[in-house]
Amino acid sequence: MIQTIVYGFTIGAILYFFSIGLALTFGTMHIINFAHGMVYALGVYLFISFLKAFGNSFLVSLVASVVCMLPVAYIVERFVIRRLYGESLDYAIIATYGVLLIGTDLIKLVWGTTPHPVNDPIGLSVPLAGLDLPVYRILIVVSAVLLFLALRLFFKRSIIGQIVIASLEDSDGVRCLGLDVNRYFSIIFVLGSALAVLGGILYAPISTAEPYMGFHILLLAFAVVIVGGMGNINGTFAAAMVLGMVMAVTGRLWSQAATTMVFIVMALVLIFRPMESD
Amino acid sequence: MNPSDGSNCRGIRPASPWGLGGELALIAAALTLLSLVIKVHWMTDFMIFIIFVLSFDLLYGYMGHLSFGHMLYFGTGAYGTALWLVYGGKDPLAALAVGLMAAAGLAAVLGMIVMRTHGASFALINMAFNEIGHFMVQSPLAGVTHGEDGLSCSAGKLFGVINFYKDEWAFAVTAATLLAVFALLRVLTGSPYGLLVRSIKENEKRVKFLGFSTLRYKWATFIIASTVAALAGGMFTLVQGFVSPRVISPFGNVDVIFAVLIGGAGGLYGALIGGMVFMLIKNFLPVMIPELSKLLNVKLPQWEMWLGIVLLIIVFSVRKGIVGAIRAQWQARRPSGSPA
Repeated sequence: MIQTIVYGFTIGAILYFFSIGLALTFGTMHIINFAHGMVYALGVYLFISFLKAFGNSFLVSLVASVVCMLPVAYIVERFVIRRLYGESLDYAIIATYGVLLIGTDLIKLVWGTTPHPVNDPIGLSVPLAGLDLPVYRILIVVSAVLLFLALRLFFKRSIIGQIVIASLEDSDGVRCLGLDVNRYFSIIFVLGSALAVLGGILYAPISTAEPYMGFHILLLAFAVVIVGGMGNINGTFAAAMVLGMVMAVTGRLWSQAATTMVFIVMALVLIFRPMESD
Repeated sequence: MNPSDGSNCRGIRPASPWGLGGELALIAAALTLLSLVIKVHWMTDFMIFIIFVLSFDLLYGYMGHLSFGHMLYFGTGAYGTALWLVYGGKDPLAALAVGLMAAAGLAAVLGMIVMRTHGASFALINMAFNEIGHFMVQSPLAGVTHGEDGLSCSAGKLFGVINFYKDEWAFAVTAATLLAVFALLRVLTGSPYGLLVRSIKENEKRVKFLGFSTLRYKWATFIIASTVAALAGGMFTLVQGFVSPRVISPFGNVDVIFAVLIGGAGGLYGALIGGMVFMLIKNFLPVMIPELSKLLNVKLPQWEMWLGIVLLIIVFSVRKGIVGAIRAQWQARRPSGSPA
């Protein structure tokens, strides 16, 4: 049971890392960003290559791949997302989906279609109540909580964070104050992408890297964003943890139903709390 | 005939120089010509997909509701038909009717929920239901649907003569169905009801102000679109004689969205041409790319990348799709003000 709970929090933590960028893009720019999955998957594959190049040093490869993905995220924002700003939702979905397809095919071209497993960088377990819990998973959960606290601080204290929060409420109002909102959106977009890459790399030792990994996590992350309340920063954290737990518990009872249960929860939320507008 | 005051707001009757009969004859001729160039059974597959695209065009192109879960109704139609053929009887018409009724019933129930949402929540709640349907077929209902293994079925002869497993008959029946669907949608979208549906796309609030209960019309449109999608699914079962969870997989939704956009949403011809072009890309690029890369001696990306590039080009340059681009060219040549 304890193992299931830890697993649930681990999945929730990864979902949080991935979804926060998606939620911010939706909240500020009203764009459903499929390209987020591309950044995520490409980051993990870069990480695998760096692992080989840097002699299996987990931390160095992690930092290197996150840094390498920053310009990629910026290019996506500058040349795709920004041109879609204020457009209808459909075109944004389709264009970012196109980016996702290109990224997936690029991965298949460079790294091939066979899944790449990644070793657990710590490999230790702590005994707790007669069970062995991998230290690595606990570390993931702790880092997600730290991220949550750090982001709270960022959005409360820093000027960039406050501008973004204000834009989530009323971006036209912020614009009227003479602030170049797009610049802040761009910073937030790159930050969100970096967090997605980080989450993907942390998740890699638990799962395996495969070209369609971006697609799979995207569907779950949509559920997180909707359950969390579309651009609500605290809500995203709570929703990620709850849905991670839903997946873990369902997976224990009936393994095939794990993903579907997430969508059932999402459908229920949408039925009882439909969104006011887009 | 009718004053044309803009591309979005053509009059109640569709402006067509030949009338509906002429249009149908033209499409039939084009399909027959294509079947001479492309293998007949491929053409049958393409036409089934085009019927599906037409149903999506009603929902998205005309009413402006982008769904990420339309495959649910294609799959319900396909599975309904297949299950009747396996456990019920051999009559293809009865099986098709079961598939259509199952999908219409499902759409009527789910439509009450999904049509209250719009925009992003509409797209994603449909996807959620699609995922649930996919799961139902795969796991809890695996006793009857045989899960991942799929279900083989064989239909008897239609009217005692038409054998679905002969390529020519399958082609003829599918082509007739496609023409019937096209005619039905042409009449529907040209009627006052069709005008109302288009008005909902433009500005739902104003339609409400005029005193229409938009929810009722949206619900009806959702059921019609879903039932036509189920017809495509049922035809798929009859022609293929095999269904697997792939026919209800949420990943299939992307194909139909792209097909509508490539052709141009909201004009029926866009769906015809988009469906055709998309199927050509999907079926011929994977064959042509390895040949081409052998010829040029370089490793070329697979077809998905090319599709991604096409999508970006559509969104940033040719929003109205192939048909829209042609129409714009056409109108630019004529003196302004005359109907297209």
